Amino acid sequence: METLIEVKNLMKIYNPGENEVRALNDVSLTIMRGEFVAIIGQSGSGKSTFMNMLGCLDVPTSGSYYLNGKDVAGLSDDELSDIRNKEIGFIFQGFNLIPNLTALENVELPLIYRNVPAAKRHELSVASLTRVGLEHRMDHKPSEMSGGQQQRVAIARALAAAPPVILADEPTGNLDSASSKEIMQILRELYQEGRTVILITHDNKIAASAKRVIRVIDGRIVSDTNYGDGKSIEEIAKQIEEEGDKEQAYV
Amino acid sequence: MSQFLEYLKMAVSNIKANKVRSFLTMLGIIIGIASVILIMSLGNGMQAVISGELEGIASGQIALYTYDSTGTYYITNDDIDAIVEEVDGIMAVNVYQGFEGSTVTRKGEFSVNGSGQMASYQYFSNTGLLKGRYFNEKEYLAGTPVCLIGEADAIRLFGSTDVIGMTIDMTPNWGNSVSFTIVGVEKEPENSMFGGGYDNTPVSLYFPMTVLTQIYGWEMDDYYQIYLLAEKGADTASITSQVVSLLERRHQCFGENIYQYESFNDIMSNINTVINAVTMIISLVAAISLIVGGIGVMNIMLVSVTERTREIGIRKALGAKTKSIMMQFLSESAIITMIGGLIGILLGIGGAGLVAKIIAMASPEFASFRPSVDIATVLLTTMFSSAIGLFFGIYPAKKAAKLSPIEALRRN
Repeated sequence: METLIEVKNLMKIYNPGENEVRALNDVSLTIMRGEFVAIIGQSGSGKSTFMNMLGCLDVPTSGSYYLNGKDVAGLSDDELSDIRNKEIGFIFQGFNLIPNLTALENVELPLIYRNVPAAKRHELSVASLTRVGLEHRMDHKPSEMSGGQQQRVAIARALAAAPPVILADEPTGNLDSASSKEIMQILRELYQEGRTVILITHDNKIAASAKRVIRVIDGRIVSDTNYGDGKSIEEIAKQIEEEGDKEQAYV
Repeated sequence: MSQFLEYLKMAVSNIKANKVRSFLTMLGIIIGIASVILIMSLGNGMQAVISGELEGIASGQIALYTYDSTGTYYITNDDIDAIVEEVDGIMAVNVYQGFEGSTVTRKGEFSVNGSGQMASYQYFSNTGLLKGRYFNEKEYLAGTPVCLIGEADAIRLFGSTDVIGMTIDMTPNWGNSVSFTIVGVEKEPENSMFGGGYDNTPVSLYFPMTVLTQIYGWEMDDYYQIYLLAEKGADTASITSQVVSLLERRHQCFGENIYQYESFNDIMSNINTVINAVTMIISLVAAISLIVGGIGVMNIMLVSVTERTREIGIRKALGAKTKSIMMQFLSESAIITMIGGLIGILLGIGGAGLVAKIIAMASPEFASFRPSVDIATVLLTTMFSSAIGLFFGIYPAKKAAKLSPIEALRRN
């Protein structure tokens, strides 16, 4: 399999000096194309910082980050914008749709910044919204949709430009359990279609949808387990739970 | 270019989403632009009215007078002949000599201002004839008692303008009575700001100055003031200096500033300068209000940036570059000021029309007053308002564009 993400000795230090906080402390990680990876950890563990690094929203203090063959650690703001636009599809906890735009217009946004011509943009966005089952809600504004529907719009937005990486940050954090199931189902399908999905969550049950689980504590990776395709969600969830207890005891 | 259209679309959709706020933001610009246009067009119109009035009266007229405390210097008939002979570019020379008196007709008794003129009077009269003719050189030389009368005065004296050939028996306050035969009726000046006949003003008669010899018993030869009329397009400044030096030579008073002059062209350009200056100063005040409007735009855009921090974060996360965000916000302020500018121009033109109507209604002598806006003013104002939008939009747009996506996303 082809390497998609390669992180080496990544450090992120806030307030360098006396009261410095090592949000990421010497993290190294490799993710292959087509993997479904969950990064789990309690709040304050550094997983959000890690997600910002992986999503090219922030730059590391030191270390290297190769995304799809490109070194992105030292890029400028605009170059990072470009990378985010082309390489990453974001799914956020708070949906992050623009309130005065319709579902369709929201999905079109990354394509606009990619200079896709209007007709093609429309075609791709409609296809993407259809993919998440919202073809009948395209002209609705976010406020006119349920949380689950809004998150599906966000997924459609992440998919429209067909980026190599789908980065989902607590995608079910603001959703009821029925909607959560729906969203996780879509993410599993995307994985089965061959996309690379990285899921950041504190919820072990949600993480169990992934095939590989990376646990972050205090800015370090403490475990990295590949469960493979053989196990059911319930079995993986149970193992994550057990390992979590072990590590908690260890710490 | 297609990208630019996208930013415009984004800007328009956001302006539409905040209609009331956008309108209130525009209001400052609207008022500023409208007042600039209003004042400029009223100023232009006023200038046109005054120029038109003076043009009719006095284009090319030069008044030449003696300024002499001892009373020893005059301008004589010989001087006038010399001027006509020696100075090029003079169309006519005239002298007014007035006297007061009264006359009785079947309409009653009227006081009269008689005005003795040379035969060149026809060149200096600006209203034109309604009926009859001007008096001629022959009548002037012979001292024939003929006269011209204004249309309104004819109606006051006789109740009609069919007065050619009628006589007016004139009793001067000093001297011998004369019986004038009317040879011409002059038109009334149209809605003139200067003068115009009212009921209690004396009736004006214009006649050959030589008639005064009969009245006073001596010939008129010394004048304090004469009027020159330059030929069309002639250089009035050079003519006056030639005339003045000629008179100084004839009277041996070089450099004593005895003979002075007032050119109506100079007066007109002075008046224009004053109107321009007043227009400019008021426009400047209006322009200041425009700048205040611009600051209003900046203020609202700053609020908008703060309010839309999250949106900016989302856009940046999805791949918007610094330039894209800047362009979006700049387009927004530019469109707001541009629309405000256009509304302001229309309001300004409309308002000027309205003000002109009110002025015309209040004082009939301003009936010919038309506000005028030249295209240059409109273009300049539009450009100015867009420039204000861009200028005052830059700071908020920069602020928006510089936001880091994670910080912007973190905020609610």
